[in-house]
Amino acid sequence: MEELTFQESISRIAGSTGFTALTGGHVVMLLVACVLFYLAIWKKFEPLLLLPIGMGCLLANLPLSGMTAETEGGLLAFFYGGVKHEIIPPLIFMGVGALTDFGPLLANPYTFLLGAAAQVGVYTTLIGAVALGFNMQEASAIGIIGGADGPTSIFLATKLAPHLLGPIAVAAYSYMSLVPLIQPPIMRLLTTKKERQVQMQQLKPISQSVKILFPIVVTIICVLMLPPVAPLLGMLMLGNLFRESGVTQRLSETSQTHLINTVTIMLGTSVGASMTAETFLTLDTIKIIILGLLAFCFATAGGVLFGKLMYYITGGKINPLIGSAGVSAVPMAARVSQKVGAEELKGNYLLMHAMGPNVAGVIGSAVAAGVFLSLFGDTAGAEHAAMIYTLVE
Amino acid sequence: MVGSAIKVSFIAMGVIFLVLTILIGLIQILVKLIPYEAPPAPPAKPQAAAGPDEGETVAAIHAAVARHRGQTPESIQITHIQPR
Repeated sequence: MEELTFQESISRIAGSTGFTALTGGHVVMLLVACVLFYLAIWKKFEPLLLLPIGMGCLLANLPLSGMTAETEGGLLAFFYGGVKHEIIPPLIFMGVGALTDFGPLLANPYTFLLGAAAQVGVYTTLIGAVALGFNMQEASAIGIIGGADGPTSIFLATKLAPHLLGPIAVAAYSYMSLVPLIQPPIMRLLTTKKERQVQMQQLKPISQSVKILFPIVVTIICVLMLPPVAPLLGMLMLGNLFRESGVTQRLSETSQTHLINTVTIMLGTSVGASMTAETFLTLDTIKIIILGLLAFCFATAGGVLFGKLMYYITGGKINPLIGSAGVSAVPMAARVSQKVGAEELKGNYLLMHAMGPNVAGVIGSAVAAGVFLSLFGDTAGAEHAAMIYTLVE
Repeated sequence: MVGSAIKVSFIAMGVIFLVLTILIGLIQILVKLIPYEAPPAPPAKPQAAAGPDEGETVAAIHAAVARHRGQTPESIQITHIQPR
């Protein structure tokens, strides 16, 4: 065994510390992680996501920790495997499905159209991203930020532009938490006082059998029309079936609580771990942050303007403010509609009416992701096909 | 490139509206076929009859409260018992 002198021992220990490999990029990313902690803990911006993302970012940028090394079996690399192999985002969608009551949407199914209209933010951002020099796959992954749905953004980014996963996830979750600040000025700008004061009729009750059949019908129709959307929509609807069937209470409770919480930790830390200095400190990140904000603004405007159209078509029965809830971001966007409506007319309760377009937005953004995958997801599809063939052989 | 992005956007929005419009139609059919029926009102809960040992329990609680307050049981009157 080699005998070390005191000086050699000190020298070896000093050489093995992370300080020796620390670069300026690492330091900047550690500061980014601290900003995420600040936003999550002190500003309470989506803390359930931004806190683990911040920790993932911190660990990934502490050199020599090996947390993200795939070859050495880094813990965060294993977690990231769950994102890469389409496991974690669909499991989160299952929890979302178990937490979601589609009753308001079923009571007023025309609000589905508001969820579709709000997807205009996705496509205006796609055009903007292409104009800024991103290719179609990257632009699609950036555009879906306008769907205001974190798991969908992560799912699509992993499939179409994995190198942009970090900035896309951070932009998506940051802006989702800023919905109460971003949306109200746009809502007021695009509507008149009279429109904002519309009181909507009470929603009619829906049979439990319809609530049970709804997730089954949606799965059949959407997956037949857009097969790549199956992991997201299939799991969303499975979670909802757990909730509505009344015979799987334990599974429903697990999906809504322990399971979604567990996978959220893995999702957050692994997404944070993708934020390395090499991938994050680029001009593209700044472009994505700006495009993400535009995506939310256009999505809100699209929903509100379609709400105005419905207001005129129905002879003033629809309050256009519920259109902004079509951006998904459940239930925050619906709460914003309620708040802005109540400010105009005290006692005007729009919350349940806004929940219709809000949950329609979840389905709408998943469908939008499915359209992108159908158009640009050939490579990923080919990889899966190859994997299946290998398994069969 | 921007031109093809605009084309893709129009096609994709069309597909989204088509899928969601089909779902609207199917929901309307489902709601018409299976209308909501209000659940029957639950039968009124019969008033619980006083058990044979209820008086003894009340007396024991009465005595304990009096002892706790340092008073005689006669000085405390129980006027109402909230049924569980």
